[in-house]
Amino acid sequence: MSTPAATGAGSPRLSVQNVSVTFGPNRVLKDVSLEVQPGEIHGLIGQNGSGKSTLAKVLTGLYTPDAGASVSVDGTALDLPVRPDEATAAGVAVVHQSLGLVGDLTVLENMRVGRMKASRVLRRIDWRRERAEAAAVFERMGRQLPLDAKVSSLREDERAIVAIARALQDLHPGEGLIIFDESTRSLGRRSLEQFFAIVDEIVATGTSVLMITHRLEEIVDAADRVTILRDGVAVQSGLKAEGLQERDLAALMLGESIVDLEQRTPAAIDDSRAGTSLKGLSGLGVRGVDLEIKAGEVLGLTGLSGSGYDDVPYLVSGASPATAGELHVDGRPVKLRKLSPVAAMRAGIALVPEGREHAGLAMNLSVAENMAFPLTSRASAVLAPLKAKDEATLVSSWIEKLDVRPVAPQALLKNFSGGNQQKVLMGKWLATAPSLLVLHEPTQAVDVGARHTIVSAIRQAAAEQGCAVLVAGSDENELALLADRVLIFGDGEVRQELTGEITPDAIVAAIYANGSRARLRTRPSGADGTGGTGGTGTQGAAGTDTAGTPGEQGTQGEPRDVGQVNDDAAAPAPAGGAA
Amino acid sequence: MAETTLTPPAADASPAPAAEPARARPSWLGSFTTRFAVIGVWILLVIVFGALRPDTFLTAGSFQTIFGGQTQQALVFMCAALLCTILVGEFVDMSVASNFGMAAIVASVLTVNHDVNVWVAALIALVISTVVGLVNGFLVVKMGVNTIVVTLGMSTLLLGLAQWMANLMPVSGLPKSFSNLALTKILGLPTSFYFGVILMLVFAYVLKFTPLGRNMRFVGENREVSRLAGVRVTRVRIGAFTVAGVIAGLGGIISASATGGFDPSTSQMYLMPMFAATFLGTAILQPGRFTPLGTLLAVYFLATGVLGLQLLGATAWVSNVFYGGVLVIAVTLTTILARRQR
Repeated sequence: MSTPAATGAGSPRLSVQNVSVTFGPNRVLKDVSLEVQPGEIHGLIGQNGSGKSTLAKVLTGLYTPDAGASVSVDGTALDLPVRPDEATAAGVAVVHQSLGLVGDLTVLENMRVGRMKASRVLRRIDWRRERAEAAAVFERMGRQLPLDAKVSSLREDERAIVAIARALQDLHPGEGLIIFDESTRSLGRRSLEQFFAIVDEIVATGTSVLMITHRLEEIVDAADRVTILRDGVAVQSGLKAEGLQERDLAALMLGESIVDLEQRTPAAIDDSRAGTSLKGLSGLGVRGVDLEIKAGEVLGLTGLSGSGYDDVPYLVSGASPATAGELHVDGRPVKLRKLSPVAAMRAGIALVPEGREHAGLAMNLSVAENMAFPLTSRASAVLAPLKAKDEATLVSSWIEKLDVRPVAPQALLKNFSGGNQQKVLMGKWLATAPSLLVLHEPTQAVDVGARHTIVSAIRQAAAEQGCAVLVAGSDENELALLADRVLIFGDGEVRQELTGEITPDAIVAAIYANGSRARLRTRPSGADGTGGTGGTGTQGAAGTDTAGTPGEQGTQGEPRDVGQVNDDAAAPAPAGGAA
Repeated sequence: MAETTLTPPAADASPAPAAEPARARPSWLGSFTTRFAVIGVWILLVIVFGALRPDTFLTAGSFQTIFGGQTQQALVFMCAALLCTILVGEFVDMSVASNFGMAAIVASVLTVNHDVNVWVAALIALVISTVVGLVNGFLVVKMGVNTIVVTLGMSTLLLGLAQWMANLMPVSGLPKSFSNLALTKILGLPTSFYFGVILMLVFAYVLKFTPLGRNMRFVGENREVSRLAGVRVTRVRIGAFTVAGVIAGLGGIISASATGGFDPSTSQMYLMPMFAATFLGTAILQPGRFTPLGTLLAVYFLATGVLGLQLLGATAWVSNVFYGGVLVIAVTLTTILARRQR
């Protein structure tokens, strides 16, 4: 319980000492200490369930730590539990998961929410002053954004700027700390590079950053030091990040070294079966896509956001209506126009959608109920009793196969960690023994251990059941692990096909046509984190970024119309024939 | 092949979530106390009332008043109707009580004032209640109108129509043969008691052991998840409103049969105890979940409380205090339990 030295130049920006958190009989955090120095990017990583988010919630005041803990900023101890307003006053700003912006409100409103001041007499908001305050922050960041644009109309990299600006406005230049609580989870590659360019500029001024993340690459490339949690214990606190490899970090997180972390199993294509073929798929942002997946093959789809690759899963599984297209699953034809989820399931198509809370699972029901749900949801005899015994056997076999922990089929899903929830979601659809398995971001926001279980389960379904697998995703590392072949989308069409050795670099290179996968950040060379080196590195990254982001909007109206015309032309024909 | 390369990390994951099984276990112990807390209070009430009024409370008569009372039978049906829509994720259906009253008054007025055969009149009443449920469902599900607004409006509309049909007067004089439907005694309790119990048992069975019940729960929890799993969500939701109408109608008819007629202005008196019992039901048996059997027990729990307080000398005001207080406490409990639920 070392109390930090009295205020002075030597005291760390943020000092967390001996934080323990106990829920009932469990200690989910045990004596965690970490120190963030001025002007550094400090990474905080750990598996789902390691206590990472618990620590974040202590720092944001949601949880109360056990007695004996201390949290201090610039040498001044904060009262515990942390009060958000006091933390803000001390110079701690938080950027929440998925940025925490309201899409329907403008940039200005999002920036100033909670900070708006009423005018003296009429108590109305003085928009001129608000506007000036917001503009000043963007000025400080050297970025320009339309203050009156709705956030939903912005590109994702611009949204990241808004979120950072909102955090930055409460900090004095060169002071304070920004906590990024898994803020980067939904950012694509280019936005991520842009994001780190800004973060680099911020830390170059002396402001500190605590980066809570799932992406090990962010630590390897960008962090100065890293703290690693495992089972609620800080197994490393303030480890120098330079020179570390992703596998080193993974080993520390999991507690054992991992062999072949990034190795893909060989393809198990079964040519004796028909597999899946898709012809002329149109709908949403997709127009006229043809593709083929052999039985046992895993096909990846990717592209820039808005290129339509992420619409394909929903169109082929009946979740969103397609305007045209025909699918052959194991040789059997499936009409995609007006396909319903019911018909898709009947044809042997299973969709694992993105967003397990929203579309994947019922969190207030049990693991068993969720896993067995698709098996009975379409039952024609709705009042015939459920086969409880068969279900229990099936559920426990999938819990075992997917290593869902804890093994508690009757426990409610909301009490499980994200990685285990995602495993349940996989099990729920794998249990239907699909002929075509369609996945969208299957390992998003999932820790390394769970990711490997899920990846191996998908590859196993392909290899052993001869299932054709379609994976749409924006994470090049995930695709490189999963896919035997990758199709790159642009403007709703297939632009390029990657075969053979598939590497994350090759995928990114193909997505951004002639772009490259820039390093997220170049660390300042000197021992102290001030100086111009960081600045120049940033300039470079920012430069490639603006060059690499083409205007994606505006081209979508036309193709959709084309699809519509084709469709309308096709539809009247049979009707006329009948009449 | 996949196994050889990828098993080690999976095995490694074992130490990490080691804390979690422990997290799941004590909740069971904890839920044991919450599960039976209400039943404990119930027993306590019986002891207290029994000690204070041994000669009036501890009698077969008060047992019959609690379990055989027509108010309780009416409440069981109304709660079941309310549960139908709550379970598929709607906010409370306010029209249940009025729909119940509508069926009772239609059956009574047609028989007594218009000389229609009582069984035909009952059938007509049932059809009307069903249509009311269907209309509610159509407006809420297909048109997307707010549940509470639609059902509150429907409630007032039906109340007015019932009052008009009955000319604001209580209607009575249903044939004795019809009354036997509800009043025939088996083991000291009227058939209407058994109808309610059977209804709730069937409801509980459907919910727990059939695909339909599971689909209802999933639709209530998450419509998108249900739709993607092939459930016809719209059909389930409209179906729930329609069945709610059927159950309310059946309840109204049985109530008319038991009292030999109906007073159109009484249906609104059931509103409060209905909500109180339904929400209190979530604190019994399966804490945090709406359950038919929990609700059934809650109805008789409330009846015990009210009867006991009346025997202690309280007058009509006591039921308001009791129902209102229980509703507030029960809703708060529901919210807390749902948050803690494992």
